[in-house]
Amino acid sequence: MVTKTVASYHFDTLAETISKLNEEDCTIIAGGTDVMVLHKSRRGVAPKIAKPVVFIDHLRELKQTYLEDGDLHIGACCTYGEMLEHSLIPNIFKKAIREVAAPAIRNRGTLGGNICNASPAGDMLPLLYIFNAKLVLRSVNEDRIVEIHDFIQGPRRIARQQNELLVEIILPEVVNEARLIFEKIANRRADAISKVSFAGLLQVQAGKVADARFAFGAVGPTMVRSQETEKKLLSQVYPLKVEVLDEVVADFASIINPIDDQRSTAAYRKTVALKLLRYFLTSKELF
Amino acid sequence: MIKFKLNGSVVETDAPSTVRLLDLLREEFELIGSKEGCGEGECGACSVLVDNLVQNSCLIPIGALEGTDVQTIEGYSKTPQYQVLNECYATAGGVQCGFCTPGMIIATEALLSKNPHPSEEEIREGISGNLCRCTGYNMIVDAIQLAAKKGDGLW
Repeated sequence: MVTKTVASYHFDTLAETISKLNEEDCTIIAGGTDVMVLHKSRRGVAPKIAKPVVFIDHLRELKQTYLEDGDLHIGACCTYGEMLEHSLIPNIFKKAIREVAAPAIRNRGTLGGNICNASPAGDMLPLLYIFNAKLVLRSVNEDRIVEIHDFIQGPRRIARQQNELLVEIILPEVVNEARLIFEKIANRRADAISKVSFAGLLQVQAGKVADARFAFGAVGPTMVRSQETEKKLLSQVYPLKVEVLDEVVADFASIINPIDDQRSTAAYRKTVALKLLRYFLTSKELF
Repeated sequence: MIKFKLNGSVVETDAPSTVRLLDLLREEFELIGSKEGCGEGECGACSVLVDNLVQNSCLIPIGALEGTDVQTIEGYSKTPQYQVLNECYATAGGVQCGFCTPGMIIATEALLSKNPHPSEEEIREGISGNLCRCTGYNMIVDAIQLAAKKGDGLW
């Protein structure tokens, strides 16, 4: 094997890892399911990664999942498989994991990796957006907490400083009675990249909408969410009046602007995205 | 130097840490049962067990393997569980060209070791990361159902 060697680090502790990031600009490898494909070379040749590499998926500190003050903290290196088996992980995440990844990917792919890869089609992102996920970024200086929609800035663009590491994902308390949906449209049930994905949350109290959140994936550079439109639903009578429903769908029709690519067409993506929204807001089966 | 267990023996390699496990297996250790289909984690032909979990060896940089226990189809083929799978895949016609078979067998082991009596739906989910272009999957599903019956108690 002819391979140009880059420095690589595999520290025993999180503290050592973070102090190395303070000294050197590194490529961070958690499960590797995205990094190894992104930098793939031809058969028999190691992926071409220009920067020194830091392995983090063995760090136990990054695999803790726990509740604190009602908020769920998920370690950035929890694999999908570990999340599936953890009693604290919300069922809607487990449903999504079963639908997006085959067992072999579940055993390597991590939640933190899915976020930091910042793909427009990132499978866990729609749910993380509607859960108002917050991210804990640790550096030698401090822990910084960032909202997921501020962290992800565009395809493969994130607001991580060179000396920071995503260590935890926080899901602020979600009201139990919330109705949740996650749907992914792709060519295959496992291991396919989304054409469209959708996550929704709806909470109805005493016949009126108390909370509504929607996020669409693979229809723009980042997840599409509109808190302005969501607010229009608050206090509306449920089941929704036709005018209200039509207005919400029309709002999203004006902000969802997908593209044509090898996986799908803009027209298909937009049509399906709006139908998923309408289905979620009207389906009795879900409730 | 990266040190891990491979098919029961401790091995060391000085290959760079970003080398794919699949390449290391095939080229340095001459274990060619794990195949490269897509090289992107979509086809499952390169599946191996790492700490008893099925994983795609094309996506694993060997630097991540320090201290782990890797089992390939070559190591697995020495187990009694393999004997049952071998027989059942043959009986049910679950093998045609054979390219996907080592990965399919590894995925089957991962499934049965967690769930010895899977439903058809669970079997399809268990092998959802493994593509087969010959059998149409039904005969593989039959093979796994047969193995669950015949190997009762083994898993």
